[in-house]
Amino acid sequence: MSAVASETKTRQLPYVVAITEGVREVLKEQANAFVAGEDVAGAGSVYGYYRGLLDEFGADRIYDTPISEKGIIGLGVGAAAAGLRPVLDIMFMDFIGECMDEIANQMAKMRFMFGGSATLPITVLTMAGAGANLAAQHSQSLEAWLAHLPGLKVVMPATPYDAKGLIIAAARDDNPVFVVLNKMSLAMMGDVPEGPYEVPIGKANVVRTGKNYTIVTLGRMLGQALDAAKQLAELGIDAEVIDARSVQPFDTEAVIKSVEKTHRAMVVHEAVRFGGFGAEIAAQIQEHAFDYLDAPVARVGAPFSPVPFSPALEKVYVPNAERIVVVAREQLGI
Amino acid sequence: MARIHKTVTGDGFLAKQPTNKTLLDIHRRMVRIRHFEERAGKLMEDGKIPGALHLYVGQEAVAAGVMVHLTAEDQITSTHRGHGHLIAKGGDFDRMYAELFGRSTGYCKGKGGSMHISNMDLGMLGANGIVGGGPPIAMGAAFANKFRKSKHVAVAFFGDGASNEGSFHEAANMASLYKLPAIFVCENNGYGEYTAQANHQAVVDVADRAAGYGMPGVIVDGMDAVAVYEAAGEAIARARKGQGPTLLECKTYRFYDHVGVRGMGLNYRTDDEVKKWMKRDPIKLFEARLAEQKVLSKKQAEAVHAEVLAEIEAAVAFAEQSPMPDVASLLDDVYSTAG
Amino acid sequence: MVQAIGIVANPASGKDVRRLVARASVFDNQEKCAIVRRVIVGASGAGATRFVYAPDTHHIVANAFAEFDTTAEEVDAPRTGSALDTTEAAIALRRTGCAVVITLGGDGTNRAFVKGWGDAPLLPISTGTNNVFPRLVEATVAGAAAGVIALGTVGLGECATRAKIIRVAIDGEADDLALIDAVLTRERFVGAKALLEADALVLALLTRADPAAVGMTSIGGLIKPTAASSREGLLVELGTGGRALRAPIAPGLYRTVAVTGARRIAPGQPVEVRGPGVLAFDGERERVLKNGQRAWLTLATDGPWVVDVPTTMQLAACRGAFLEGATDAD
Ligand SMILES: Cc1ncc(C[n+]2csc(CCOP(=O)(O)OP(=O)(O)O)c2C)c(N)n1
Ligand SMILES: [Mg+2]
Repeated sequence: MSAVASETKTRQLPYVVAITEGVREVLKEQANAFVAGEDVAGAGSVYGYYRGLLDEFGADRIYDTPISEKGIIGLGVGAAAAGLRPVLDIMFMDFIGECMDEIANQMAKMRFMFGGSATLPITVLTMAGAGANLAAQHSQSLEAWLAHLPGLKVVMPATPYDAKGLIIAAARDDNPVFVVLNKMSLAMMGDVPEGPYEVPIGKANVVRTGKNYTIVTLGRMLGQALDAAKQLAELGIDAEVIDARSVQPFDTEAVIKSVEKTHRAMVVHEAVRFGGFGAEIAAQIQEHAFDYLDAPVARVGAPFSPVPFSPALEKVYVPNAERIVVVAREQLGI
Repeated sequence: MARIHKTVTGDGFLAKQPTNKTLLDIHRRMVRIRHFEERAGKLMEDGKIPGALHLYVGQEAVAAGVMVHLTAEDQITSTHRGHGHLIAKGGDFDRMYAELFGRSTGYCKGKGGSMHISNMDLGMLGANGIVGGGPPIAMGAAFANKFRKSKHVAVAFFGDGASNEGSFHEAANMASLYKLPAIFVCENNGYGEYTAQANHQAVVDVADRAAGYGMPGVIVDGMDAVAVYEAAGEAIARARKGQGPTLLECKTYRFYDHVGVRGMGLNYRTDDEVKKWMKRDPIKLFEARLAEQKVLSKKQAEAVHAEVLAEIEAAVAFAEQSPMPDVASLLDDVYSTAG
Repeated sequence: MVQAIGIVANPASGKDVRRLVARASVFDNQEKCAIVRRVIVGASGAGATRFVYAPDTHHIVANAFAEFDTTAEEVDAPRTGSALDTTEAAIALRRTGCAVVITLGGDGTNRAFVKGWGDAPLLPISTGTNNVFPRLVEATVAGAAAGVIALGTVGLGECATRAKIIRVAIDGEADDLALIDAVLTRERFVGAKALLEADALVLALLTRADPAAVGMTSIGGLIKPTAASSREGLLVELGTGGRALRAPIAPGLYRTVAVTGARRIAPGQPVEVRGPGVLAFDGERERVLKNGQRAWLTLATDGPWVVDVPTTMQLAACRGAFLEGATDAD
């Protein structure tokens, strides 16, 4: 974890408030930063994480937009190209479909296409995650879509601490950065220091150290993996749990270092397993640590179907600690 | 449910006055929507319906006034606020509540829930979680109707908020370009979520946008079922005749919050405003007129309500007793296995 | 002293179901705003400096003024989005003592206005559908005409005439009025308002029967033309067994109606009608009559003053109103 000045106070805060604090710090330190998105100003977002910012910073810094996602991203790309530092909000990650051209063909490529002359310091906050019975179009985790686009950065904070720190880092970065939040984490409590601090983009976090098993997680799956690690410990498996925190750039080094020690690895994410970002991680491991591996890399992700509505189906759809344990036992033959 | 296929007589697209039978049909559709929604809201508050629920209460005249012109072969696309559209299109309460409860007997086998409630057999091509998702699909369905040389039409319901999505504009342009039998029904309830219309678009009348796509734009009082019936009748008749799409804007209001009944408790609408609109409750207005015209007495109206309420009781019981979907069904219907 | 010019724009005009049925065109509010701007320019060009206007739900007039330095006073009237707004605005504008009121709308808008200010000095610009009362006139010129009236260069008595109206009394209910036509139809609902069902027409009292216009007035006009300037009106009765007549009952819509009779009606002579049915005024269904409910339609000659723009401008030109450096002595 990045250093925090010793005199700053740390409080227990929910993830949702940590997001607010992150954005607040950004608006405080960057005069050219502004927030734009659907229902972000008056309503403070449907999940409430901008609440209070309109009063605090005024209508010149936080804008309710029409329901026009292509417009929102376009606003950010154009404003950034013209020198501002936009913080954009795409209410649900599923809606990036509405603006994928602005993201994939404009935002991601502009700098490269124009020979490095354009700088796009854009932060996009968006809400992913299943488990709230919101069905197929409000529950997806689509980080793989974004991670596949050279020019973008993508981070997935799993804790309140990381949420605040990654938002600040994203806004200080001169590249477009997507901060993929998770709606099921909003109430999660955790230590959050006062004032500004950065969680570096591209640095994984070894949350639990272990000797003989590596679990790499994306986003909210950190919690599930830590629970699983406890159960695995009873089976004599001492799992090291690494929160990737950033999928683009991805901290291959941290993962390889762990696998060289543990010799067995699993990747866990909420997104559909097939073609998910876990496939890239598994490929990285076999490319860089093939000789260290004692077992094929296991992957845990959602089944190959859209997110179902029915609680009975969604319950089995979203990866959890039990599933991680089952897959680990299959992989390890125990 | 009886569906009246409109015939057009005389010059122009002139629709005849609604018959008593049609009026009663419209009334029943509105009452069905109202009680279904009221009950759904309660069930949600009681924790029996999971997920998000966008209630249609207040807007019933629009769904009923439009849908009474359609047959099951005519298609509609709906929105996140879609229960009313499906009910007016002939949706069955058993299967609708079952879907809201996430049961295997639901219209979508529990996979869609409130936001995706649909039934292709009834020509209801989906409630939609994506704002603005409907208009392009309706345009495509209208294309199919024209392709097959049928007289069927496709109606896209969408909100004032949705009229800011590019999808609406692309669909409107294409429908007009290809002269498709499509009707774009904008249910302007003054808000997109918690943002008032004045804060999300520079025009007050979405109908003004029709001119830009070379189609007629019409405004009607969306709280007046007869007004909606008449205007929709004209637009639909026009589409059936092959004269292309229409943008029909219905000025209406949702009585409850954006999501659920009381919602998030944000003060984005004044009590005065809500009260003012509630005074124009489309069902009460309509019942008063029907009584005045001796089409439906107060007592007869009460009987309709009672019948619908009894049907709802049975449907809720059906839904509650229905099984949850089998876990093995999770991977079903991702692909068609035929052909 | 330079008097004020009143402006009222109806955001709802030009948008009803007749876009479909009658192939009428949409009158969008951006165009209405542009018209108000041209009025302001025209009026200012004539030397007018004072404006009062009615609020509207779409802020048409306020937005128009926002582009200019010219100040304008908004009168206190509601913004409910109904015809009531225009009627209340008329009452408020009357209190300001403005010299002339420019209305943007169709027959319905002017009717609503006259309900609030019976002898208003009107300069109506057509932005509606059934436009018998208001004229198609270039807004810049209309503004100029209003300007010379506000300046007192041209007097109302010289350039305006009083329109006929129809006063409507309804048994047990509030009175109403019509500017061009009051019609009884056997339809049952006000519905989408536009009067379209030809077979249901029963009777029409017309303040003028104009063969060169559209709407109910054309039915009388094509049988027994009766000028706006005539003292009399025309009563047309319709129904089965009548003489078949093809008439443009709305813009873009010819229909065959059955006329059983047409006779001139003098002012002050009430015509009694009975429900069930709907009374339509100036092309729009407005009031439902219950079974047996009676209503009386009476022609009157003391309606609003209506400015004739060409006459006004001719007088202004004769008086050199637009010659630079002109003084009163010229
Ligand atoms: C593409 C997309 N953007 C945003 C949302 C979130 N959202 C759901 S409903 C809604 C408001 C829609 O407003 P409107 O179209 O006026 O329909 P209403 O809710 O008033 O019926 C929004 C912004 C969404 N579901 N889909
Ligand atoms: Mg809306």
